[in-house]
Amino acid sequence: MSDVVVSVRDLHKSYLLGRDNYVRALRGASLDVMKGEMAAIMGPSGSGKSTLMHVVGCLDSADAGEVWLDGRRVDGLRGRALTRVRSREIGFVFQGFNLIPTLTALENVALAAEYAGASRAEATKRAQAQLELVGLGDRMRHAPGELSGGQQQRVAIARALVNSPALVLGDEPTGDLDTATSEEVVRTLREVNAETRTTFVLVTHNPEVAQACDRVIRMRDGVVEDHGGSPAGVVSGEAAAGEGGADG
Amino acid sequence: MRVLRNIFRRKLRAFLTIFGITIGVFALVVMGAMAEKLDLLVQGGVKYYSDKVQVNAATSVLGLASEPLTMDRLREIKAVPGARAAFPAIGMLYDEELPTMSMGNVATIQGEAHGARRYESFKIGIAEGRDLVASDRGVVVLGNDLAKKQQAKVGTVLEIRDRDFEVVGIWERTLTSPDNAAAVALADAQEMYKETLPDALQAGVTARNLATSFVVYPEAGTDPDNLAKAIRRRVGGIEAVGPKEFEEQVVSQLSVFTSIIFGIGAISLLVGGLSVVNTMTMSVAERTREIGIRKAIGASDGHIMRQFIAESAVIGLLGGIGGLALGYLVATGLNAAGEASGNVLFLVTPGLAVGSVAFALILGVVSGLYPAWYAARLNPVQALRYE
Repeated sequence: MSDVVVSVRDLHKSYLLGRDNYVRALRGASLDVMKGEMAAIMGPSGSGKSTLMHVVGCLDSADAGEVWLDGRRVDGLRGRALTRVRSREIGFVFQGFNLIPTLTALENVALAAEYAGASRAEATKRAQAQLELVGLGDRMRHAPGELSGGQQQRVAIARALVNSPALVLGDEPTGDLDTATSEEVVRTLREVNAETRTTFVLVTHNPEVAQACDRVIRMRDGVVEDHGGSPAGVVSGEAAAGEGGADG
Repeated sequence: MRVLRNIFRRKLRAFLTIFGITIGVFALVVMGAMAEKLDLLVQGGVKYYSDKVQVNAATSVLGLASEPLTMDRLREIKAVPGARAAFPAIGMLYDEELPTMSMGNVATIQGEAHGARRYESFKIGIAEGRDLVASDRGVVVLGNDLAKKQQAKVGTVLEIRDRDFEVVGIWERTLTSPDNAAAVALADAQEMYKETLPDALQAGVTARNLATSFVVYPEAGTDPDNLAKAIRRRVGGIEAVGPKEFEEQVVSQLSVFTSIIFGIGAISLLVGGLSVVNTMTMSVAERTREIGIRKAIGASDGHIMRQFIAESAVIGLLGGIGGLALGYLVATGLNAAGEASGNVLFLVTPGLAVGSVAFALILGVVSGLYPAWYAARLNPVQALRYE
């Protein structure tokens, strides 16, 4: 079994953004992410990084290419099978205000476990453990509105971890936060990564976030332009795209 | 409880929507209670007529205000094979004019021949005092509601149609027409009835020869409906009605009335249901990003669908319980207020109570189906982009 958690090969995705506005978001992107790695994806707006994250996160399907997740090909999955992979293998942390406002911190985290099939008691137990991991053991009964921005984002991190996913995806996880709070969130991510060996891929514009990651992947015009060095032994440039899967 | 928190995110809107259902269920409960009460009255009437034939003049309307029947007709009817016994009866309005507001509770004067009661299977108990006896004149036995309305006790002297009657007894409540009847001796009733006739007619008749209806009891083994047919065939100028015909007439009239009543209630509920659709649709639109997040963290289409249907069902249920409570209070209150005047108009049966809340619940579920389906089908990527 390889140490590769995510393997993307020659991914293409286009969509209509309004009438006659045909966007070719991905034009043959390839990428590998190793287990336990914390990688940043950077690139200008429209470079395809969000679309790549959505396809890898099983929120969207690609037009062509392959996506392998923990040794399993997922790009052909639809409907329930896709939902199942999403709920058990993927965790998401979004930009600001992504908690359910009517649920407490504990319920927000437990909800993801319930969606993955855990009983309410089991989900609550696991949620408590995750909230303690991110240092919010004393804030569990608070509603999101009663928590600071950094605390809310730590709740979101705990929620992303509650099903012990193979991969946690972050979409601008520090996007709406000030510098100090942003550092708090990055610190939490690093701590969790060190402690649980969970793999993180963070889409970001923030150079400080990127700097805190093991590797920075750069995208431009729908392809991965720079793999950022370290695990590049697996794929050396776009030429290798389409040749074999994650186990290659 | 999570469902409630979501519903009451927008407190005013949630309250108004629930209140819409409450009004609908309230209308259904109150109008339904009226129909139930009427149904009970009619059931009593159907039971009362179940073993006899009622004979009226051919021109009668509901057994009241008819052309007089005369005793020679009674002799002809007694001669019809299968007739065991036949008695004259007088039925007339208690008041000289028909009250403007009437719900099957019109007070009547009943004069019946002594001895008829012996054949009667519909027994009425005495709550107070005694029943009429053969020698009685100038006395009255009152139905339970009528006694209350007249504030009469045993010993009270009532003036009925310009005559004084001493109350000698009060019947037990039957929940049907005898509750609003004043029973007097046939001879008294005949005299009062004669006075209501046009002057031209009065001159030619003697009171003792008058009746507004005859009650005919069949012999054992004779079907009262067949007896009614035989009477119609042999005796002219009269209308004879057997129990089945009576039931058909009354029940068909009642069912039209009941349908109208429930129809009105159902329409008001339907309007409430549309407001639930509106509220849920708005709620889904406002929570588009939240739906995207829920899907991203693993919610299936089924999870989303169930969540919104549950919210909509709870709106229906809360509205239903509120409407039932309000309707029950109003019906009970109006009954209590009307009891003094003998106008007990409402009957909230367990079936009506359970049925109206269940209807509201089902309405809530149905109203939530489309918004929930729409929410479940939202594309997660687009929903997440939504601000």
